[in-house]
Amino acid sequence: MAKNRIKTTSRSPEASVFYITGLILLGIVVAAFLVSLIWTPYAPDATDAASKLLAPSAAHPFGTDNFGRDVLSRVMAASKYTIFISVAGVSIALILGTVTGIPAGYFGGFADRAIMLAGNSIMCFPGILLALVAVAVFGASVSNVIWALGLVFAPTFARVCRTGTMEIKELDYITHARVMGVKSARIMTFHIFPNLISQLLPATVIGLANMTLFESGLSYLGLGVQPPDASFGKMLSDAQAYIRVAPWLIIFPALMLVFYILGLYFISEGLRVNLSKGGK
Amino acid sequence: MPRHIHIVKVHHLTLSFPTRKDPDPRPVLDDVDFGIRDGEILGLIGNSGCGKTMTSLAIAGLLPETASVTSGSIKFAGKDLFAMSAKERRAMLGKDIGMIFQEPSTALDPLMTCGKQLEEVFTAHGDKELKPDERRRIILEMLNTVGFSDPEEIYTRYPHQLSGGQRQRVLIAGAAILKPKLLICDEPTSSLDTVTTVSILALLKDLCHKLHMTILFISHDLSAVKGFCDRVMVMKDGKIIDKDTTSDILSNPKNTFTAELLTNARLDTRLLGFEPANVDYSGSPVLTADKISAGYGRSLFERVKSKTKDNNILHDVSFEVYQNEILGLIGGSGSGKTTLIRSVLGLLPHTGTVRITSSSVGAIFQDPVACLNPAHTIKWHMSEALKASGKAKAVEGTGSLRERRAKTLSRITSVLEECGLGAEHLRRHPNELSGGQRQRVAIAMCLIQEPALIIADEPFSSLDASSSAELLKLMTDINRERSTAFLLITHNIHIVRQICPRVIVMDNGRIVEEGMTSDVLTNPQSECTSGLLEAERQIHGL
Repeated sequence: MAKNRIKTTSRSPEASVFYITGLILLGIVVAAFLVSLIWTPYAPDATDAASKLLAPSAAHPFGTDNFGRDVLSRVMAASKYTIFISVAGVSIALILGTVTGIPAGYFGGFADRAIMLAGNSIMCFPGILLALVAVAVFGASVSNVIWALGLVFAPTFARVCRTGTMEIKELDYITHARVMGVKSARIMTFHIFPNLISQLLPATVIGLANMTLFESGLSYLGLGVQPPDASFGKMLSDAQAYIRVAPWLIIFPALMLVFYILGLYFISEGLRVNLSKGGK
Repeated sequence: MPRHIHIVKVHHLTLSFPTRKDPDPRPVLDDVDFGIRDGEILGLIGNSGCGKTMTSLAIAGLLPETASVTSGSIKFAGKDLFAMSAKERRAMLGKDIGMIFQEPSTALDPLMTCGKQLEEVFTAHGDKELKPDERRRIILEMLNTVGFSDPEEIYTRYPHQLSGGQRQRVLIAGAAILKPKLLICDEPTSSLDTVTTVSILALLKDLCHKLHMTILFISHDLSAVKGFCDRVMVMKDGKIIDKDTTSDILSNPKNTFTAELLTNARLDTRLLGFEPANVDYSGSPVLTADKISAGYGRSLFERVKSKTKDNNILHDVSFEVYQNEILGLIGGSGSGKTTLIRSVLGLLPHTGTVRITSSSVGAIFQDPVACLNPAHTIKWHMSEALKASGKAKAVEGTGSLRERRAKTLSRITSVLEECGLGAEHLRRHPNELSGGQRQRVAIAMCLIQEPALIIADEPFSSLDASSSAELLKLMTDINRERSTAFLLITHNIHIVRQICPRVIVMDNGRIVEEGMTSDVLTNPQSECTSGLLEAERQIHGL
């Protein structure tokens, strides 16, 4: 028992470093998002012809862009879209992935083949291409981007769920539940799913980071968030032309993007280390 | 190296696992002090969690990083182990100290042939100048010594092509190949059946003489040390409480705990109070299985290759279980016992019919670690079992939500109490319970469904003697008080003799013998039964 207690209470120092770094980086972006909900230094869309392309100063800590908009305010507003799109997209992917992946793993046979064939067909195209097609067909809007990304990412989660389920369903406690007469749907939701969380959690966090990169890519290509709204990718693409005269237009949104994604990666790494060491 | 009377001398060793929250916890090993004499076989016996394995890990220098030695020392052949550098210790491990573990299925690399794995030992320790064909000769010789009649064949085989007993032999060969002075065996036989256990113990004893090795034999079962160990130490709560020659311990235990262990190992019916119910064989059976044949699926290739080949593991197995009865089902590993109950429970496709005169059948499995869902509390497990049985509504009755919950809770608590657990266990997760407690929860989950029959598949094989005895007592109590029938699958004839009025013997997927336990065991008709009885006589004939 003594040995057991240590396992559950003490976290490995390695994981703690990952967690703390990740939370600090992510905290910067999330703080910017939370503050932007109630206050930004200037209105993010307010143009000011008198102060175009100003370098960072006390009045405009991150400088201004070619329309004289305050970059700090726009970065704060952009974090809202980035976070919203990644969280909503991952939620869709997670729900689709678990709803298809767990039955595929549990029942096997034809259901498994059919579901995995559909998933693999999606995965064999480059994700960005599929998202591009979807956005091109259904129109460029935030909700379409979310749906497209959700669909593209779903097979990844389905695979995680499927393999996890195939392992767990062979264990005695699932056999026991079947012998007791628990229905298949209940076994999948209440007996198997809670045991998959330790595998899904790191996948979700990584999914958030990847989704943010995709969203930035789509926005950069002009298919994501539409002007005058801002997202990090959109800001980067707009700033391209001014990279020599006004590098701050690139640096600050790019930094925020890096903080967000790196923060998520660190947290997922911490989760992985902790979950694999702590045992299931 | 000069010879020492004691090859290992553990001197007042105290060891604990301090954490930040609890810097001074109860020691796991408390003032452990003993010596292992050169050339002897020393048994270290105790229940699970008493510190046996920690003692062996301390001697091998494999303690977990979190362990802290508060006092004491260990000397191996006169050298202080704690004063050695990591490099010196590593050089010693394998060469001077060999180790064999409990689970032979996970100790071999599945991607390497047995021969390759044994060669690894030479790469790590052996003489660099040794020629490859010389190495091969030594390995083949060693494989022959551990009892393989065809070492060339074993050399090229992969671990999955071997049985549990064969794997354990390969591991023993690997541990003995460098002729270590000390061989630590940590429960080497607990995952093997009785027949294999006897042969492995005989092999170890033989090696001990041939190679002049010293063996530290760790086990939870006092019955295994008879005729094998020279001396026995009994451990409890991190302390060595009894130390004597084997014959003295077995015939005349001075310590009360040793006496208790001995009673449990002997399964003394009078002392432990097993009272199974009387069975009425004229009534109709609870379970009737008729001509069951079953096997595992073949691949398409195999089906095309041999259309007519009989791939079944079970061949026309028929039997009945009567009300109130505890029916024993015995047989060696691989005789088809588990396949049979999986078919009966409807988990495997099979031909033949199974009739059960009850709405639910309970099942208890071998592995207490995997039998409960790690994500949920005991309370959840119990209410889930109640819901699945379709009896939840009847228990809840009518009334407000709070009243219904209280009724369900009181029912769950009463069943748990019947199984020797209390209300304090409701909120615990399975990993906070011991193996015996987890098996109790599994039984409680069956009981709450009120089945007429509970099928128990080797429920004792991973429990220590004390937990097994308690679990057996619980099963007989349930059998007597609730008139629940049991189908008990085991390879331990000793248990069958104590509590089962009737017994079935299986071999190669067929029932080879069936009848009253006293008749079958006193006058065995088949070779398989005689083999099992002979093994049992050697191990449990205390």
